[in-house]
Amino acid sequence: MSTTSVSMKAAGDQPELRRSVTAWGSFAWGYSDVGADIFVGLGLVLGAAAGASNVAFLFAGLVYVCVGLAYTELAAAYPVAGGGQYFVFRGLGDIFGFIAGWAVLLDFTIDIVLFAWSCIDYLSKLLPVLAFTTHPWTHFAVVFLVIVGLATLNVIGVRESSAFNEIVSGLDVVSETAILFFGFLFAFRPEILIHTMSTSWPSTFNLMNGVSLAIISFVGLESISQAAQETQRPASVIPRTSISLILTILIFALAYSNLALGMQPWHPIPLDAHGHPQALWQYLGSEDNNGAAVQVLASLVPYYGAIAALYVPLLGAILLLISSNSGVFGSSRIAYAMSRAQLLPSIFQRVHSKFRTPAVSIAIFCGFAALELLFAALPSLSKYFNGVYAKFFHGENGITFLGDLYAFGAAASYSFVFLALISLRLNDPDSPRKFKMPLNIPMRYKGRRVEFPVVAVIGFLGIGSILVFTMITHAIGRIAGPSWLLIGVICYLIYRKRKGYPVFRSRPHDWRAQQMKILQEAGELELMDEYVANVKASDARAAAATQSPS
Amino acid sequence: MKRLIRSEGYARARLVSGSLFAVLGFVVVVRTAMTAGISLNGLPGYVLGGAMIALCFVRFREYRSWKEGA
Repeated sequence: MSTTSVSMKAAGDQPELRRSVTAWGSFAWGYSDVGADIFVGLGLVLGAAAGASNVAFLFAGLVYVCVGLAYTELAAAYPVAGGGQYFVFRGLGDIFGFIAGWAVLLDFTIDIVLFAWSCIDYLSKLLPVLAFTTHPWTHFAVVFLVIVGLATLNVIGVRESSAFNEIVSGLDVVSETAILFFGFLFAFRPEILIHTMSTSWPSTFNLMNGVSLAIISFVGLESISQAAQETQRPASVIPRTSISLILTILIFALAYSNLALGMQPWHPIPLDAHGHPQALWQYLGSEDNNGAAVQVLASLVPYYGAIAALYVPLLGAILLLISSNSGVFGSSRIAYAMSRAQLLPSIFQRVHSKFRTPAVSIAIFCGFAALELLFAALPSLSKYFNGVYAKFFHGENGITFLGDLYAFGAAASYSFVFLALISLRLNDPDSPRKFKMPLNIPMRYKGRRVEFPVVAVIGFLGIGSILVFTMITHAIGRIAGPSWLLIGVICYLIYRKRKGYPVFRSRPHDWRAQQMKILQEAGELELMDEYVANVKASDARAAAATQSPS
Repeated sequence: MKRLIRSEGYARARLVSGSLFAVLGFVVVVRTAMTAGISLNGLPGYVLGGAMIALCFVRFREYRSWKEGA
């Protein structure tokens, strides 16, 4: 995704990350990743949750706020690249660190194909020859070429610059804000919203489906922690930018869903395929438009819609392409970090002799992405497979299939992050936390004063319920998601046994030395002093406790 | 880019857009209250309006800390 200055040296050397990301850069990094999700999520959720789409976004949004606060606390306390995988590895041990990392890798591979797919959907509003419904083979070929192109660019080490990322994010924030202002001021009718909610309320099954899809509008918080390792003074900057990012994304998701349900469109809505009139939300959630719902909605906003129809497809496509690229970049980086921690074989650390990039990781995970693309597109490419999917998978295919897996991977990894946060609060109270989630209960644990995070428990229950909804409502997701985890765990166990490492237990880690190094490299010298003082006091207390009984 | 982001104009622009969000949030809350009253149907509207007003507070705090740092 971003920027910057990652130079990965030969295997065995430390990768060098220059801390050049500013506060705005950190916001833009997160925004280009999470902000793109609404471009994909809006149409999918409207198609599933109908008149309760705003409620689906609200539920998923509140869970997302909890997830965001957890990532903010952890990324500020442990500012290293690796994100959820690193936090779980540190909080819960090797095997859970692997499972969380493997779930994140599933998300990153889906990220590559889902956003490449949606990028072409947005472009198809300018170039109808790329439309999935009318030209499935062309759509498939172009998405495949985008994936190959991104893989090649990442292997030769070309990524979009930080400045480009920041400009696109800035333009998108301004554009989305303008669409919402014009929409809410000139076309929003609360009575239409209430009427739609009353008359088009979905079944419980469809509402659960909608909630599980709504969480994909909030995926990408890994970027907060990815950015942490490259941000100047991360402990101070990350909390500030994260809160702003969390609120912005929440507002956009809630505002777009409310607008889609309660807007009086500027132009009449075309009749559906059977010649019947349809509501705006039905039009946006239809197969023709669900991949590019934000663009269609924007074009129906009074006054501004005329301009928005011209540039939103392009702006959306660029943002989605950046997000797709973040999948290529992120997967190779997480695999590299997991390999260094002996959670994956050393092949994932291998770097290209000429370009010094993790070419093997890039090729493997882009290969997975291409396979996922094939699974998603098969029913539209072949009538035979269309019948097979209709018989065994309730006809789920295309972007819905990708959304299923995306939701599964996110819900699985976020669940572990909450558990890791609770574990680290209890077992590592010495690490200074410049930002803490609100609502904590002071208590004593193993003789030390700690603070138990209530919001982490609420978040865990919320994301756990979304994981259950995903398993209940998605025919492919409940098979493919757990299968991905199971295959990964089997490979992990074989790898650890062959290498002679503990299979279920963790290898010994000197977390204290590592934390000192992390804070020193982050330039957080005050926090380092605080950490040293905390550790000394903790050791003194432990020594006093051992001496006192004798 | 970095110079622009560190400028006073940029900090003020963010404060102004935050204030506009607060106005929009207030409008959303009032119109939702007039239509839905205190009901579950109005909940998404109230949360949306509340989040817009909260964003204004965050922007205001950012501006204050920028002024202190400048």
